[in-house]
Amino acid sequence: MRMKYFDELSRAMEMLAKDERTYFIGQAVACAGTAMTNTVKNVPREKLLELPVAEEMQMGMSIGLALVGHIPVSFYPRWNFLLLAVNQLVNHLDKMSIISNGGFRPKVIIRTGIGSERPLHPQFQHIGDYTEAFRLMCPNIEIIRLEEPEDIFPAYQKALGREDGKSTIVVEYGDYYNEK
Amino acid sequence: MSGKDKKVWTPKELIEFENQIAELFNSAKIKAPVHLYYGNEEKIIEVFREVQDDDWVMCSWRSHYQCLLKGVSPEKLREEIIAGRSIYLCFPEQRIISSAIVGGIIPIALGVAMGIKRSGGKNRVHCFIGDMTSETGIAHECIKYATNHKLPIRFIIEDNEKSVCTDTREAWGQEKLTYEDGKHPLVVYYKYQTKYPHAGAGVRVQF
Repeated sequence: MRMKYFDELSRAMEMLAKDERTYFIGQAVACAGTAMTNTVKNVPREKLLELPVAEEMQMGMSIGLALVGHIPVSFYPRWNFLLLAVNQLVNHLDKMSIISNGGFRPKVIIRTGIGSERPLHPQFQHIGDYTEAFRLMCPNIEIIRLEEPEDIFPAYQKALGREDGKSTIVVEYGDYYNEK
Repeated sequence: MSGKDKKVWTPKELIEFENQIAELFNSAKIKAPVHLYYGNEEKIIEVFREVQDDDWVMCSWRSHYQCLLKGVSPEKLREEIIAGRSIYLCFPEQRIISSAIVGGIIPIALGVAMGIKRSGGKNRVHCFIGDMTSETGIAHECIKYATNHKLPIRFIIEDNEKSVCTDTREAWGQEKLTYEDGKHPLVVYYKYQTKYPHAGAGVRVQF
């Protein structure tokens, strides 16, 4: 039987949680609040770091955690929210290897999404898909869009295991939680 | 250099290092911005009395003194500056990271401190920021978070009263900076007057 989109997201999060280096950070990782929250219900509580709403701080913290050997899985439920962390993403995470002559290569996994439009349309500050724009702005970060359920687990496996010094933005579709 | 081999710098020697960089810049030997320190030598040496070898030092675009005091050799530092990297000097061996973006280094420093705490480490983070940066939203968020979560970090505010040429107090319309009373437990504050401009060494250079 084909796995469902939501189930594969949950399975990928459980896989990440088994690595002792990972932390899941952001708003609504330990508390209820977004569709993503339900995908980390089986992740041990000590792995979940609930943060205040402070998007740039969160991205900077993610970089810092990665610099000392952790692998943060940093949650931004929508691209529109991730926009508030662009300074840390574009000027710092994407450039860290360059500005340090390859000496610092923080590995961060960023989980973001394209807001669902069905059955409720959240209107136009919540449905952005900036994948292509960020591919242009962040040449040193890989961005993977999860089109099908079978894309999900391999994408997170790659993000966790990669040794090329790159971070990964994994983009999911809110509508596919119910539709695929 | 580290531990017993680390050079102990005097104020005069620090000034001399920056004078040499100024000469190199003024003679068009450095084809990138340089941001020189002057006037804070005794204060920053005092700050570094509490910096251990395995601590992290996080800086902005003005960081030559921090690099020297943390143990980067003057030869290596000069090489990086001549290569054009004065603006964001990073030395993994000495655990130094810098950012040329206002406030950019602060949440990264916070994350390093969080990582140290979660790993049970005993080392600390020392995050250097200027007066204008200390008034930004990101500085306020991070200082609040670090304080409330008891993270192993301190913020050193170096106040030369301006950001590039803008008077910080006048621009914000306040007589005193938020942290200048020196009472915050995670903040070290000092004021200094520099002889150098924001960038360069005060001489028009024809490249």
